[in-house]
Amino acid sequence: MRVKVAVFWGCCILASQYAYEMSVREVLPKLGVELVDLREVLCCGDPVRSVNDFAANYLSMRVLALANLTGLSDLLVPCNRCHFTISEAKRAVERDEKVREKIVGMLKAEGLEYNSDIKVWHVIDLLHDCIDLKGVGKAVVRPLKALKLASHVGCQIIRYSDLGRVDDAENPRKMDELICATGAESVDYNEKLDCCGSHLMLSHPDTALSLAGGKVKALQSLGVDGLVVSCPDCGLMFDSKQKEAGTTIGAKLNLPVLYLTQLLGLALNIEQEKLGLQLNQSPVEQLLSKISA
Amino acid sequence: MAKPNLESREKILRKLRGRELINCFQCIKCTSGCTALKLLELKPHEIEKLVNFSFVDELASSDIIWTCATCLKCVQRCPQKASPYHVIVALRNLAVEREAKVPEAFMKAVSQILETGLAEAYQKVTTRKMEACDRESLKLPEIPAPKAGFQAVFLKALEER
Repeated sequence: MRVKVAVFWGCCILASQYAYEMSVREVLPKLGVELVDLREVLCCGDPVRSVNDFAANYLSMRVLALANLTGLSDLLVPCNRCHFTISEAKRAVERDEKVREKIVGMLKAEGLEYNSDIKVWHVIDLLHDCIDLKGVGKAVVRPLKALKLASHVGCQIIRYSDLGRVDDAENPRKMDELICATGAESVDYNEKLDCCGSHLMLSHPDTALSLAGGKVKALQSLGVDGLVVSCPDCGLMFDSKQKEAGTTIGAKLNLPVLYLTQLLGLALNIEQEKLGLQLNQSPVEQLLSKISA
Repeated sequence: MAKPNLESREKILRKLRGRELINCFQCIKCTSGCTALKLLELKPHEIEKLVNFSFVDELASSDIIWTCATCLKCVQRCPQKASPYHVIVALRNLAVEREAKVPEAFMKAVSQILETGLAEAYQKVTTRKMEACDRESLKLPEIPAPKAGFQAVFLKALEER
């Protein structure tokens, strides 16, 4: 199956979580997904939501208007937070005529066109539901049989169900099934739905780090080979800030953390450098040595 | 002494656009599963109750509304569709309108967006072997900032209440 989608990266991926961007750009085309970048960068409106709801909705609708310029009707949004913000904005604007009129006018002033019909995808449902597990499985050339992994799907991509999210809110399975499609084992664990804390980095960084550290510590005691994430904020907390999180909770943390697309890339036998694996700050060598053995 | 302010409550209800705050029957499902309960003592059911009793002014100037981790578990689990998360967002918006205490990072994000379109600045990162990298050295494409007209429109959007 081949699909062509526009892609909106948001802020976090473009500004620091380069490994996610690299691995998405590398892996998705090999699974039959052609990516088309938008004309401009833009914030989805997430941090603005707490400041001014209307302005956040405007930013989200501007993202869809930029996607509209590509002529494509599907938009990939690999960030959980952006995916949620845009989904909420889409619904709010569809339901509120007054707000819609204002936003349509604002977009027009910039020569942009409002289009709420664009379907918003995340990496998880694009791979699981569109390319499907068979398609992903077929592309695997190096099954990662030796690995026992935990998944962290994140909060905003599965909640809240009324909005239409990519997986079940209380028992998400799609990411685990994708992990299994690479040949690895996916384990269940008590803390699976616990939040990474990233939003609290804006107001209570110590608490945010404690939340992230606590989850990594629990996973370490389970003896898994690594944690798989698919959101740049979760990646930032569990990987980039793992050391800091360890200091905050007074624990020695050394759990390999990688993006779902990095894991898939390994199973597709793509060079590690192309997947940005040198950028992960957690000790991913531990995991890599297991699959090269 | 805290005083109820019916007008402020009305303001929050308008921002909630029909979400049924009044239906909250204090089952405490939201607080039981709240990410910020243990470390920051956020109790979403209390926020619901205080808004229903019109003690909105105190909340809008309180630090507690900035402790929400936005994990959305309360929205998911509320049997009455009273959604504490959305009430907290409405209270945050009101706090900004009233120029109450707002964590600096939020306002910084807004000015960063005005300047560059993105809420964060591009960062130099290092590999595990401490080699410095940026988008260019990683051969990642350059995507332009928003066109000149964006700034004025975004400023206008920020004036909406």
